[in-house]
Amino acid sequence: MKKPIIIDCDPGLDDAIAIFMIINNPNFNIRAVTPVAGNQTVDKTSKNALDLTDYAGSDVPVAIGAARPLFKKLVTAEHVHGKTGLGDISLPHSHRAFSGLNAFEMIYQEAERHENELEIIALGPLTNIAITLLKYPDIKEKIKRITIMGGSCGCGNDTPAAEFNIYADSDAAKIVFDSGIPLTMVGLDATHKAMVYEEEINEISGYNNKVAQVAARILTNSLSFCRKHGFEGSVMHDPLAMACVMDPSVISTKKLRVDIETKGAFTNGKTVADIFNVTGKKANADVAMDINRERFIKILKKAMMDYGV
Amino acid sequence: MHDKRPIIIDCDPGHDDAIALLMAFACDRLDIRLVTTVGGNQTPDKTINNALKVLSYANIEVEVAAGASKPLMRDLITAPEVHGESGLEGPALPPPTLKRSTRNAITAMADVIGKSKEKVTIISTGPLTNTATLLLTHPDTAYKIERISLMGGSCIGGNWTPAAEFNILVDPEAAGIVFDSGIPITMCGLDVTHKAQIYKDEIEKVRNIDNKVAKMVAELLDYFELFHKKFGFEGSPMHDPCAVAYIINPDLFTTEAYHVDIETQGEFTTGATVADMRHVLGKEKNVDVALDIDREAFIRLLIECMMYYG
Repeated sequence: MKKPIIIDCDPGLDDAIAIFMIINNPNFNIRAVTPVAGNQTVDKTSKNALDLTDYAGSDVPVAIGAARPLFKKLVTAEHVHGKTGLGDISLPHSHRAFSGLNAFEMIYQEAERHENELEIIALGPLTNIAITLLKYPDIKEKIKRITIMGGSCGCGNDTPAAEFNIYADSDAAKIVFDSGIPLTMVGLDATHKAMVYEEEINEISGYNNKVAQVAARILTNSLSFCRKHGFEGSVMHDPLAMACVMDPSVISTKKLRVDIETKGAFTNGKTVADIFNVTGKKANADVAMDINRERFIKILKKAMMDYGV
Repeated sequence: MHDKRPIIIDCDPGHDDAIALLMAFACDRLDIRLVTTVGGNQTPDKTINNALKVLSYANIEVEVAAGASKPLMRDLITAPEVHGESGLEGPALPPPTLKRSTRNAITAMADVIGKSKEKVTIISTGPLTNTATLLLTHPDTAYKIERISLMGGSCIGGNWTPAAEFNILVDPEAAGIVFDSGIPITMCGLDVTHKAQIYKDEIEKVRNIDNKVAKMVAELLDYFELFHKKFGFEGSPMHDPCAVAYIINPDLFTTEAYHVDIETQGEFTTGATVADMRHVLGKEKNVDVALDIDREAFIRLLIECMMYYG
């Protein structure tokens, strides 16, 4: 049976590749894409979601989500993702209309339709999911799992303590992490190992299809950015989280209690993982600690090849 | 032949504090002019008494002054789970012959630093309350402090809460004052102390040294090991001795300079040493964070120090 999935995202360059990876995969039933403000404002991430899915030949509903975090002011990552949210990539303008539902109505509708089967892959700040939980608390029992790209047990990338997606809406993250829904946290501990090397990018750019071409361009642009930050390859945060949904064996996880700091002067948005098990509190997340990089690359390449070689 | 380096040791003995003290006094390049104590591993009355007992047992003459009775802004947290009711469970030590100083720790620290010709190094193995109080009450002393080598903090998660190491957690406001002071700091946190473990066969080597101080240290290590076994450690992390070993021989350590802030407002993170390891802030680096240690050379140093006692 095809697994029902909602993609909650803020495309976003690495989001774009993640969406391409799964959107046409016959093993999954992509119910909706729910954009949220994050890497860019929600009008831009929504337009990008529509254009990206269109480009990949999918007519999946795109249901617009939250324009700002629950309580905090919006911070975007324009310095990484550019003015449009897609860097220098310009896609044909989609003529499809957005869904008549907003993101949280869409998430709840699909959770009811696919009770205990629906999985959410969250690639941006967790605002949409938190709002759904606030409005429909009973959804907790209906969602099979949320895989989150976000957080870090070590250092952050937006502040010394916090990773961007969690920092951007730490209050929403707290609601989601405290919800009791099974969670997989794919944070920097794992995603910093999800590097795509130059020769692998070259291979992808050799695939004769327009989706792989866009992916290769994003990977190439990201490579120079990542090298400036001391990485040898293009660090693919969202694609790794997506690969985990497609094949959980791509990561190794540790069951940990993770609390979200929302009040710290220096630590707001930190995913506080009880690594040495000092609280005795029950674990609430499967935290990705390591990856099988070869397997990740295989999944990424296969997904891009599926669009035509 | 270089001059002896003037030192103040601020501590809360504590098993590993006791070992740290004994290592420091065994090193002839250190001129330890003052020992001050603070509440932490146990209450302040117990930590001063433990310092006096350990120093008396080893026939060491030094001024020992009691410091702050509680953290700057918070109630005291102690660690009887680790150090027992007395703070120094294990060896049976006779009552101290050494008397505590009539001066309080802050007055004594200010006086020792003021009178010293050279800059003074502080080795801190407990909560930072005394040093912070010194900086608040005698701000000019900051210019005469060469370096503070401290045991505390962590970049890899805490040992008392998920985010905080014990010494910093007990008095995060004090830690904030010290870390923001501009004084050169070496932070020996869990990143390095968890790598500075002593194993059972090495404890036996200590026990086989033919003097009563070494035998007492072996008994301290026996007790310390029991607790750490429960938490899945193979050996016992020698937290506080790292702060001393860094001053005796910094070459044993690998350090990296980072900007480190102390969290005092967090719901889950109070007491965290927030190190900007990816340099995202661009703020000035204020701490040399110890990240690795030559463990075997460190244990050799510990053993050599114990041989000094006979």
